[in-house]
Amino acid sequence: MEVTVKIFRYNPEKDQRGNYVTYKIEADPNDRVLDVLEHIKGKEDGTLSFRRSCAHGVCGSDAMRINGRNMLACKTLVRDVGANITVEPLLGLKVAKDLIVDMGPFFDNYKKMLPYLINDNPIPADGKERLQSPEQRARFDESTKCILCAACTTSCPSFWANDEYYGPAALVTAHRFIFDSRDEGADQRLHVISETNGSVRCHTAYNCTEACPRDIHITQAIGEIKLAMVTGKLE
Amino acid sequence: MNAKPRTLPLSKRGMSFETFMWAFTRATALGMYGFILFGVVGALAMGAQHSMTFVEVLRWALVSNPGHVEYTNLPDITPFASMFWRLVASGMFLTAGSHGIHGVIVVLDDYLPKDNQRNWNRYLNMAMFFVVAAAGLYIIWTA
Repeated sequence: MEVTVKIFRYNPEKDQRGNYVTYKIEADPNDRVLDVLEHIKGKEDGTLSFRRSCAHGVCGSDAMRINGRNMLACKTLVRDVGANITVEPLLGLKVAKDLIVDMGPFFDNYKKMLPYLINDNPIPADGKERLQSPEQRARFDESTKCILCAACTTSCPSFWANDEYYGPAALVTAHRFIFDSRDEGADQRLHVISETNGSVRCHTAYNCTEACPRDIHITQAIGEIKLAMVTGKLE
Repeated sequence: MNAKPRTLPLSKRGMSFETFMWAFTRATALGMYGFILFGVVGALAMGAQHSMTFVEVLRWALVSNPGHVEYTNLPDITPFASMFWRLVASGMFLTAGSHGIHGVIVVLDDYLPKDNQRNWNRYLNMAMFFVVAAAGLYIIWTA
């Protein structure tokens, strides 16, 4: 099938502002949008820039706006988006070149959540590990699936309005550790999250949940954090 | 295996203004549901006692202000102007007003990245709320 691909192009060394370039190529309906972009870069225009790494929906590098929705190019089939495809960079982050955005602010917010296990207690004397029951593990299982692709954060209208907001991805990271029974740093994280740019900026638009390529129920996770802030319950 | 209940006391997790107001907004929303239910049941009861039309019941139901049954065919509106009903009306009005004004503050906060802008947003909206609350209470208690 012939596919018309309209791609946002921006070269900071040449362009004052971005523009759209249209390419017409042959593609199989079962091709992924990433394959289409690879074809254009390899055969049509080698200056096209975009991020990709594993190409299997695990690394989260190729999140972009495809026909107006945040998706991973490697998990989106041509047959699902049709013969007319518009590809744009993620909203809310500064465009570095073409489809590449500056992920610096995104990862700065991620780091504010202290994304590592905090536990200064000594390891149990009778074992080598801090054990956890399957139920305790299941409590935060879903938030461990986050691949930090930024599809959620850059689909959030609160983040578009105010990029100081930590965003859904950072809050999912906080959720992953706050509800981990082995972790002792929940108070530090809740202090950060309860700030002006924390979870109260979430107005439950549900865009993040819709955009997540890992099907994490992000809005629910943020709601659980809000409840933990008020009740103190970390179960 | 750590099986003890995990609960952070308030002294450890703290209660920021933002968190307090988030909880306040949920509490006032629940409060409004309570007032609305009470108002509807109360209006039906008053309607049965005083032979009100359905239109009069509806006017009275959500805010039990005696002004809402003034100029109707009810011969005596004294029972509708009791201290109890004025208190119910005041409660509904203040709960809804504070809930709404906090919603306005939160939405505008999204577009105000600087602390002093957010402070002004709070001061101006709270001042507006106090003016409107004073006017509303004056009407409820003098009608």
